[in-house]
Amino acid sequence: MQGYREVPITKDDIVPTALKMKHGGVFLAMIHGYIQSDGQVRVSYEYAEEPEIVAYYVVGESVLPSISDIYDTAASWPELELHELLGLEFEGLDTSKRLFLPEDMLETEGRGQILVKPLSELRAARENMEKE
Amino acid sequence: MSYIVPIGPYHPALEEPIHAKLYTEGEVIRDAEVFVGYNHRGIEKLATERNAIQTLVLVERVCGICSHSHAWAYAMAVEAINGVEVPKRGEYVRVITGELERLHSHFLWIGIALHIIGHDSMFMHVWDERECIMDMLEELSGNRVNYAMVTIGGARRDISDELRLSIEKRLDKLTDSLNRVIELCVNDKTVALRTKGVGVLTTADALKMGAIGPHARASGVDVDVRRDAPYSAYADFDFKVPVVESCDVYARVVVRLLECAESISIIRQALANLPSGPINLGNKLPKIKAGEFTSRHEAPRGQLIYKVVGDGGFNNHRVSIHVPSFKNTPTVPVMLRGNTVADAGLIIASIDPCFSCLDR
Repeated sequence: MQGYREVPITKDDIVPTALKMKHGGVFLAMIHGYIQSDGQVRVSYEYAEEPEIVAYYVVGESVLPSISDIYDTAASWPELELHELLGLEFEGLDTSKRLFLPEDMLETEGRGQILVKPLSELRAARENMEKE
Repeated sequence: MSYIVPIGPYHPALEEPIHAKLYTEGEVIRDAEVFVGYNHRGIEKLATERNAIQTLVLVERVCGICSHSHAWAYAMAVEAINGVEVPKRGEYVRVITGELERLHSHFLWIGIALHIIGHDSMFMHVWDERECIMDMLEELSGNRVNYAMVTIGGARRDISDELRLSIEKRLDKLTDSLNRVIELCVNDKTVALRTKGVGVLTTADALKMGAIGPHARASGVDVDVRRDAPYSAYADFDFKVPVVESCDVYARVVVRLLECAESISIIRQALANLPSGPINLGNKLPKIKAGEFTSRHEAPRGQLIYKVVGDGGFNNHRVSIHVPSFKNTPTVPVMLRGNTVADAGLIIASIDPCFSCLDR
């Protein structure tokens, strides 16, 4: 059956872990991110070590090294998503093109707010924008 | 002459919105870029203000084709966090619905591919055969889409003996239909000329870019979550994972056709061995315990990933949804290079993209 295991790592462990997994032929299932209840951001690098997912996670870091040169688009797309929706920065990631957000929102208040602000605040911001 | 040819986001050759920029020399595509995000509805955000039952309804609306897959993957994650064991009969009902969903999704895609290559008589024939699957889903769930068959802790509707016999009878008819479609697709000259050697994604590129599902299996990558990380009742069934190594659009047609045969076999095994007992654990609204889990389900287009984070309350703290098209869409520019503009629509469609799923 499917399993799930969490392993805390530091920011410095992200690239060595990715290299080790890549050389071992392990599939990068996904990079997830969210704001914990204590307000700290948590980013989880999840590798499919069949039949379980091993989640190597980092807490409290808003600037992280990109692993897109190791896992290509399997990493760059999730990193771009976290950049747009959670406001994280990935060193070495090409952020010149948008993924989900409209181009005119990339450099304005839209970027990095969707998964951060409460839905009520986002709704109010949208209503204000429509009034203007 | 060099041209930049824009396709989409809204274009007759596309079923869903994507923008592709083709950099061409004459008719040949030298490079390409793809842009998504035209269907972003903020479903993950909405899920943070909903309880588990409301979220089942919400995530079924991520996609009209693989709605059952979304509800199933979400339920699996919540059940794992809460340590809930689903009754075996409920798991079998989920598997039967899931494999019917795969069948209708693959028939739909094969029809669209045939339509794009200009073989409209076969397109109509395949979609006519697909109606048999839609009838089974309607008989099983009451709906043609958004089946609402999943609840936390099991399935919502049982399969009576009468329904089981009816589905088995329809499967006999479907098997004949599938054999006819396979014969037509494999032997037809137009299909071969328009798909063989077109839109190649090498095994190395598929592995490098993390392609998944039938798209990866058509590039020689032997992956399938149902076998590699068995869940639900899949360990109870014998099935093969078809892998084809020609890496082109033709391989994507063949893989999906072969998968249809395996799905029919799984449904037959599930119906023949349907366990007795309850299908779910009752209708009590569950709290989502503090903790998190990442579930994976082999949806029709490949591995569907749900990460659910609970904080002990009724609502989700976070629901993160990643669909097969999220991994497969970035491979499109690689497949387009070296092909002609006339094949671009077919190559984009060959990953069986779902941008409604991708954008969420």
